[in-house]
Amino acid sequence: MDKLETMWDVCLRKNIKRRSFLKSCAALTSIMGLNMDMLSKVVAAAEKNPLPVVIWLHGHECTGCDESFLRSATPLTSDLVLNSIALEYSHALSAAAGEPFEEHLHQTMQQYAGKYILAVEGAVATAENGIYCMTGGKPFVSVLKEVAKNAAVIIEYGACATSGGIQAAKPNPTGSVSVREIVGNSKPIVKVPGCPPIPEVMTGVVMHYALFGKLPPLDNEGRPKQFYGNRIHDTCYRRPFFDTGMFAENFDDAGSKAGWCLYKLGCRGPVTYNSCGNLRWWNGLSYPIQSGHGCIGCSNDHFWDEDPFYKRLPEYGPILGDVDKIGAAAVGLTTAGVALHGAMSVVQKKKRQAAEEKSDGKKVE
Amino acid sequence: MIMHEEPRKVYYLFSPFLRIFHWTMVICISFLFTTGLLITKPASGGVSMEPTFGNILLSLDLIRNIHFIAAFIFVAAFILRIYGFVINKGDRLFPRVWKAEFWQSMIEVSMHYMLLKPSHRPYLRNPLARMSYVGLYSMVFIEIFTGFAMYLMVNPNGFGAKFFGWTIGIFGSEFMIHLIHHYIAWAIMLFVIGHVYMAIRADFMEREGEISSMFSGVKILEHEPVDVGEIMDKESSDTFSDRKPLHAGQQETKM
Ligand code: HEM
Ligand code: HEM
Ligand code: SF4
Repeated sequence: MDKLETMWDVCLRKNIKRRSFLKSCAALTSIMGLNMDMLSKVVAAAEKNPLPVVIWLHGHECTGCDESFLRSATPLTSDLVLNSIALEYSHALSAAAGEPFEEHLHQTMQQYAGKYILAVEGAVATAENGIYCMTGGKPFVSVLKEVAKNAAVIIEYGACATSGGIQAAKPNPTGSVSVREIVGNSKPIVKVPGCPPIPEVMTGVVMHYALFGKLPPLDNEGRPKQFYGNRIHDTCYRRPFFDTGMFAENFDDAGSKAGWCLYKLGCRGPVTYNSCGNLRWWNGLSYPIQSGHGCIGCSNDHFWDEDPFYKRLPEYGPILGDVDKIGAAAVGLTTAGVALHGAMSVVQKKKRQAAEEKSDGKKVE
Repeated sequence: MIMHEEPRKVYYLFSPFLRIFHWTMVICISFLFTTGLLITKPASGGVSMEPTFGNILLSLDLIRNIHFIAAFIFVAAFILRIYGFVINKGDRLFPRVWKAEFWQSMIEVSMHYMLLKPSHRPYLRNPLARMSYVGLYSMVFIEIFTGFAMYLMVNPNGFGAKFFGWTIGIFGSEFMIHLIHHYIAWAIMLFVIGHVYMAIRADFMEREGEISSMFSGVKILEHEPVDVGEIMDKESSDTFSDRKPLHAGQQETKM
């Protein structure tokens, strides 16, 4: 595979009609959050730009991001993997295995040095020299370092890659950390958090790079703006219930059945940035809140340490408990203290006056 | 009834700008605190509620808007505080921590408040009070920064978010920001109790017009205060009123 094909070449080779090709381009344009004016550019890019080589590594994780990725509807995952990117290496999706497979990885790295996209799913286990996560007989941390060295860009897919994942929950016995912590900021890195991320977000990010040769615009946390630019709470269809003050108090009450706001049941919508509210999941079918479950904030760093999920602000403070009760108690104590101090001050003042009267009586009439 | 008939002097301290700011702050913080608690634990009409007949007072939207309006007024009122600071020496009674004298006085005043000393030397504003206001202003700034961070992150790519959004990074996550904002709210309440008590106590103990000073701008002291130099120019003495002795009960006040 010396000269890489373009998306259009692939279509020609596979006898895919021009019409279908254009349709996919239109779908891509919208899913990448671009204006439809950009369609002609997308088509041009799909005709001219060679398919980007992708190496997809899996670290310390559950492969749930793959499960999500496989369910992308626009573009279809199969379309993406077979026609839009040159996926040269993936633990989960490759038929090959063993020595030849690892050999292929090294060939790819050499042949496309400085040009390939490195997609990483999963955290990097660092404790005990990384032996908690081994791939191909080597600690994942060393594999990652090796592959990252000559990558053009790195995509962190999922909460594990972006901040260590569930296994990084306190006390983090495997020393799991994000990809960025290992690679540093030497390479352009795009952060695609979520547990898992929305399938269309995963495909959208890689397609953006495939077509335009650069990363999508990122926010100050390094996430693509078009997908992480809104709070769930600000795009939630239950927001009118929040605004009116209509809350489900229990998962089995009438409010919950009627689809009221899940704020009191610990919904993390107010502190979470993601596209669930507008893109939704499984081709727009639903998302957690629509299914009656509060948001757990899975695209937030370290959301696993902000448990339990069914309490709002874990009942107002992690270690101390309900800050309002503590506050009220503190106010009570302070008031009592102040009253006592007041009483003692009065006594003291009386004493002082008595003493003053004794020392020079003429001051007081 | 015992009447003191000592000569007392009137010291002009607080500019009207500071005073207006102070009472604006009191009103705003009262609103911010009550609406804040309701944001954490919203009142709700229960599950039998009908949307059409929903009570406006249950509206969290309304509660939040009151919180935000109070927040905006509060922040805007700071301009008065700053203007006062610029034009009037009496508005600049902040701690002079770089002076050894300040710390000595601090010990002296603390001894008095621990009821170990019957009285402390007279001050326009004692060192402990000065420190407490620095504490209060710091807390208020944390509230403003965390508050606006939450408020403006509605649009993380906007200008406002660039201005305040970094606050979230400092405290780790937006989740923590909500908690910090709430903790500090209670800490401010503790300050208020102590502060109001101290004002009333000072009024009772020294009879120096403490509480009224935040209305009239003047304090009336029996002895020359230790920190009087801070409100006087070297030559002229027109920042504080008449050196003529006045009698309590018939002082003239000056704006
Ligand atoms: C939310 C409640 C309150 C807050 C946050 C607050 C805050 C403050 C602050 C920051 C100052 C210093 C002003 C400056 O130099 O910048 C001050 C002074 C003062 N406040 Fe308050 N205050 C509150 C309520 C009250 C109340 C209810 C009273 C009346 C009983 C009061 C009476 C005074 C007085 C008399 C001073 C001047 C004290 C002095 O010269 O040391 N305050 N207050
Ligand atoms: C002394 C000043 C303030 C006090 C005592 C105060 C108090 C509170 C409290 C107790 C909460 C509830 C926390 C929660 O459960 O999320 C809250 C929420 C909030 N406050 Fe403040 N606050 C103050 C100033 C401000 C300012 C200056 C702003 C700026 C706009 C602000 C904006 C907010 C926002 C955006 C929320 C979250 C509302 C939500 O999650 O729906 N606050 N405040
Ligand atoms: S369900 Fe969650 S995200 Fe939706 S309005 Fe309520 S608190 Fe906000």
